[in-house]
Amino acid sequence: MNFEVGTQLDKIVILVYFAVVMGFGAYFGKYSKTTTDYFFGGRRFAWWLITISIVATGVGSHSFVKYSTKAYQYGLSSTMTYLNDWFFMPLFMFGWLPIIYYTKVRSIPEYFERRFNSTARYLATMMILLYMIGYIAIQFLTLATALYRIYAIPLMLTVVLIAIATTIYMHFGGQTSVIFTDLFQGFILIFAGLLLFFLGIQFLGNQVGINGLSAFWMNLSPLQKLPLAHFNHPPDFNFVGIFWQDGVAGSVGFLFLNQGLIMRFMAAKSVNEGRKAAAINVLLVLPISAIVVSNAGWIGRAITNVAPEMLPLEMAANDVFVAVTNIVSSPGVFGFIIAALCAALMSTADTLVNASSAVIVNDIYRPLSKNVKSEKQELKFARWTSIGVKVIAVLLVPFFNSFDSIYEAHGWFHSTFTPPLVVGVFLGIFWKRFTSQAVIATFLGGAFLMILGQFYPELISPFSHGIELRPGRGYSYIGALYNIIVCAGVGVIVSLFTKSDSSKKLIGLTVYDVHKLKSIFKGSDANEEEGETPVVSWKLDPKSADVLKFSINDMKLMKANPGDLVYIQDSRWWLGGLKSAHSKYGKPHNEDGVVYISSSHLEHGQFVEGLTLRAEKEM
Amino acid sequence: MNFSQTWLPFIYLYGVGGIAFIIGMLIIIRSNALRLTFKRHLKWVWVLIYGFLFYAAIHAVLIYVAIGSQ
Repeated sequence: MNFEVGTQLDKIVILVYFAVVMGFGAYFGKYSKTTTDYFFGGRRFAWWLITISIVATGVGSHSFVKYSTKAYQYGLSSTMTYLNDWFFMPLFMFGWLPIIYYTKVRSIPEYFERRFNSTARYLATMMILLYMIGYIAIQFLTLATALYRIYAIPLMLTVVLIAIATTIYMHFGGQTSVIFTDLFQGFILIFAGLLLFFLGIQFLGNQVGINGLSAFWMNLSPLQKLPLAHFNHPPDFNFVGIFWQDGVAGSVGFLFLNQGLIMRFMAAKSVNEGRKAAAINVLLVLPISAIVVSNAGWIGRAITNVAPEMLPLEMAANDVFVAVTNIVSSPGVFGFIIAALCAALMSTADTLVNASSAVIVNDIYRPLSKNVKSEKQELKFARWTSIGVKVIAVLLVPFFNSFDSIYEAHGWFHSTFTPPLVVGVFLGIFWKRFTSQAVIATFLGGAFLMILGQFYPELISPFSHGIELRPGRGYSYIGALYNIIVCAGVGVIVSLFTKSDSSKKLIGLTVYDVHKLKSIFKGSDANEEEGETPVVSWKLDPKSADVLKFSINDMKLMKANPGDLVYIQDSRWWLGGLKSAHSKYGKPHNEDGVVYISSSHLEHGQFVEGLTLRAEKEM
Repeated sequence: MNFSQTWLPFIYLYGVGGIAFIIGMLIIIRSNALRLTFKRHLKWVWVLIYGFLFYAAIHAVLIYVAIGSQ
């Protein structure tokens, strides 16, 4: 594509945006005192904060480019992958989420060790790291592809500059910075995406001389209005292949295996808040995100139907997003929308970098280091690890640049790395009989059969649902179905011929023990009575042990007993739990409306003198 | 537009996806991970069913409208 994009004003807007986000992220560094804070944000945030930051994680810069491309080519069916995530929600909300939250696993590979053995953990670590670092490389590549046209800087130099910018705020802040910058960036990218849709519709209205929305709708063909693609045609965009690759492997991979997403949910103040975040995300935010990432393509298609000369004739489909944004928006607004693309990149990359760093510290550094390291040493190592992860991602960029399109590179990832892990984690959670030997066979044997399928596509033919085999290129998305079946087949067969693990070892690690998890987490019977959440003022008791002391009447209001778990937060709801702490109820006193807190609560919660706290019994 | 472009993907999505959804619901209820005797768990049952129907309705309406615009 050779057309000029962006003005001086746009360039300034983008640079200002980068500066604001870096400052914003660095500010929240003060909330990361330990590796738990750095990686998990201290398990304290409200559902709405988690929801918006999940949006920013899920919508990567590749999303804008990739979905606009498909929207331009095929219309509304580009939204398919955003609207097929509900099927696995029951298992996620009531199976996986309580398991990871209450067993306090710090990473997916750690779950594999607890459920199976250390070999399973190391294999999972390798696969997850490869997946995440590759994903970061794709993000860098996508944004650099857009920015280097605007600034006329060589592609690889743009990649390096983006990596440095994201490093600055992440290096100091960790998960709290990630969550708060993602909150900010989530709003920015949703607003910018909807703004682009509004501008596009207005532009179309002006061209046709009627109401913009009618002009938009009238200029899509009936086929382009269908929300689902043709069942099995063409090979590069068909419903059934994408259902198995994205709706099944992708959805399970995203919900159950995305370390970044899991860390978000572990930053929630409770499992119920995590469930709310997941439900609102899928029911409300994903449909909006589908419009946000696709609309440039729809508008581009409608513009082409109205006035074919408006968009460059030789425009590559991948360039639709930038080209449409360029013609429908004015100087400055274009810069703002491209800044949203930056927001998408930074918010997805920072989550993945933090997640990769967590996996390296938790699954490689800790198990392999002979001496016990202090929190300070581990935190330092975590911060340097995040830089190392980015360096490797930058080095991988040329490899992904060799794919035909970003859509293909991304699809290759899902179908290659997720099926063995998806099968491993899924059977691990929901089938007690699934053995340690079986999971290793799934990783190794399954991977071997998957590679065989790549070289001999006729093996995939029985699962092809009539999708045409592309000579020399094999099957695309439907390969995911073959991969899932061979991995599951290996796992089930090996399980049936090996001795199952003892029930004792599996306690708390499968869905069948979820009802016991609260008691395991608490160390005694969970108090399930629902009480009130009083607002109290706080007083420091420096000699106090690590418990919170409320009055007898306040304890009655909360239906709490000494030893139960409690959560206190600054009563200003809009802080979303940023200033908060978890603890146990101590011996009650007689001063109603007052809670005595220890120095460690004050340090962790950073409560403000004179301001009240809201208390909530957890269990 | 033919059946492979309109209703077949819909039937496949909510047929195969529906099986996964129902199996998931049965697993979490039978394992007591979701307890129907808990008031706040019961609310979630309705949210889960609502979510399934919500997406099925969105897709069905859009297909219906697209067919009607021919």
